[in-house]
Amino acid sequence: MNGLWLIPALICYLAATAGFMLGRTPANVRRSRQATIALALGAALQTAALATSGVRAGNIPVTDFAQSVCFLSWLTALAGLILIVRFRIAVIGGFVAPAVFVATAVAAVTIRRQQLRIPEALRSAWLPVHVTLAFVGFALFLLAAAVSVVYLIFERRLKAKRPLAPADERAPSLEKLDRINYRLLSWGFLMLTLAIITGAIWADATWGHFWSWEPQESWSFIIWLMYAGLLESRLTAGWRGRRVAALTIVVLTLLIGSFVGVSLLNPGKHGGSFG
Amino acid sequence: MTDRTLFVVGVNHRTAAVAVRERLAYADTEIVPTLGRIREQLPALAETALISTCNRVELIGLTNAAAPPEPDEITRFLATDRRIEPGRFTNLLYRFAGRDAIRHLFRVGASLDSMVVGEPQILGQLKLAYAQAVTAETAGAVLHHAFHRAFAVGKQVRKATLIGYGAVSVSSAAVSLAAKIFDTLADKTVMLMGAGKIAELAARNLKRAGVQSLIITSRTFDHAVALARELGGTAVPYESYKPYLKLADVVIASLAVSEPVLSAAECEAIVRERRYRPMFLIDLGVPRNLDERINALENVYLYDIDDLGAVAARSLEDREREAVKAAAIVEVEADSFMRWLGGLELVPAIKEIRSSIEQLREDELERNQGWLAALAPDDRARIEALTRGLVNKLLHRVLSTLREGGAPNQLYAAEVARRLFCDDLGARENALRQDLNDVLNEGQDEDSADDRDNDEEF
Repeated sequence: MNGLWLIPALICYLAATAGFMLGRTPANVRRSRQATIALALGAALQTAALATSGVRAGNIPVTDFAQSVCFLSWLTALAGLILIVRFRIAVIGGFVAPAVFVATAVAAVTIRRQQLRIPEALRSAWLPVHVTLAFVGFALFLLAAAVSVVYLIFERRLKAKRPLAPADERAPSLEKLDRINYRLLSWGFLMLTLAIITGAIWADATWGHFWSWEPQESWSFIIWLMYAGLLESRLTAGWRGRRVAALTIVVLTLLIGSFVGVSLLNPGKHGGSFG
Repeated sequence: MTDRTLFVVGVNHRTAAVAVRERLAYADTEIVPTLGRIREQLPALAETALISTCNRVELIGLTNAAAPPEPDEITRFLATDRRIEPGRFTNLLYRFAGRDAIRHLFRVGASLDSMVVGEPQILGQLKLAYAQAVTAETAGAVLHHAFHRAFAVGKQVRKATLIGYGAVSVSSAAVSLAAKIFDTLADKTVMLMGAGKIAELAARNLKRAGVQSLIITSRTFDHAVALARELGGTAVPYESYKPYLKLADVVIASLAVSEPVLSAAECEAIVRERRYRPMFLIDLGVPRNLDERINALENVYLYDIDDLGAVAARSLEDREREAVKAAAIVEVEADSFMRWLGGLELVPAIKEIRSSIEQLREDELERNQGWLAALAPDDRARIEALTRGLVNKLLHRVLSTLREGGAPNQLYAAEVARRLFCDDLGARENALRQDLNDVLNEGQDEDSADDRDNDEEF
């Protein structure tokens, strides 16, 4: 894929970022709607860019780190749109739009002109299923963390007796943010679980063993355990609110760290080398 | 040249104490007959409307003359009509004329002149005053336009600024904070510990915001029972209220106690029992009923009376800041209204010039009737068309020049043009009358369209 393909999408994401960042007065409700449209348009244009590079790669376009970031930011934009439109949390646009813009820009700049083609051996139906599940899970965890950041800001202001300015009167309540965090974590966890299972089945079909404790596998397992613990503590001990929001952010930091670290330092089978 | 003046005379909460306002105030049903009496007794007024609310009594109108109405005339009327000695209120009246008057009406509509800036009722009250003036047939072209612009300004201000935002009283601050914590209040339980006035008010507001379940405890059980019956809740005895606390998502405490009745440790146990579901505690008691360290507990938010007061005060400050923006909108709209009023004077001039030139054309055709009749019908029609074309070209140039430029220039140009093209002063008078009727009908068409937009505010 050529980075130039992403420029139209980047312009839309930048416009969306500006729209969401500007004040949220009632008069600007329209602006926030325009920003949502810009975000949707950006996602649509990125879909086209991803489709062309997918055709060239002969499969899902995740042959290197830059492409993976590009794919992830696309999924994050889509999931963010669902949150904004379906769950009416426009405030999350202020996180999603700039994050997607920066991630896509990084991808566009670092993307290599000569793409690796995915080895014939790995071109199985499992590849898109496994990768998409993993990245959808990642995107949902990203949004859960963004929702948690909003939660912590709102919560802190309420505790400090400085509740939000009137301009934010339509901002979601703490209860709603907490509930959405829970739903995002649940769905993200389901996706991650399925990604690990499909990965194992695929590995067994290709190499004859389910699990090889290579870095990405190990880290995914650790992260999976953490999210499992987070969900379990809510169900059994009733953990919610501040505590869960803070932990959501901590686990996501680990997830990003392991993704970036493993991809750049020691990709193993999950990198572009397909060794 | 402007021979009618818009004016406002009245008192409001700033100029007159309630003792005077209540004497001057009119009940809703009295207003239409009063406007009728004004029309009979004050012939100097061409149009009038009467705005009477808790915070203001104002007469807005249009004079027949260039000067504002004689102050004495209106005060005399009010004094007789309300049976109040003129000395008690004449020095409390404010008077505005021309641009100041329309500016005042717009400020009232924008809720800038209200006791609590940004309160939403005033627009409905203005609409009522307007409807009454329409019923009494004392609203003419100018007041129609003035009121409709005032409604539009009010709506625009609420849309473009944050003037109506934020809770400005302690009890509404409690509801607004609850809405920041809880997504819906419908499935929440409110517990009243003690039933002070503000606590009761806050409970009422919460009920209105959707709360279904209410538990009330009070030192005097009978009081709790009575209030529970009135608000639709359950009364529990003061001796055994504590176990109910774990059911409460919102607690409003207003007990007269010397020591806090709920310690942080007790509250922590309750929260654990509630599995960390959020709790919003409102302490209206002085001395305080709830240990202030409770606020440090996870998912618990404690606001005392000062905290709520500070929230309300900050909202008021925010509104005052927004009021500056709103005032700027009002100024622009006042200018635009004055241009419209100036244009009213221009319209008759245009009409007059148009009819005068048309008359010239017809006279010329008439005079040449003899040889025109000898021509073929086709040729006659062509000559007719030629004269019409000439007149239109000439008129177009004159009228487009008139419509350019600001109000003073327009009026000056109109006067010059009239002297150039018209000679009959009687025609001018007729044109003016005709024009006023036209504008009136036009205005009414717009009215009905506007009303549809405004329905939700009634």
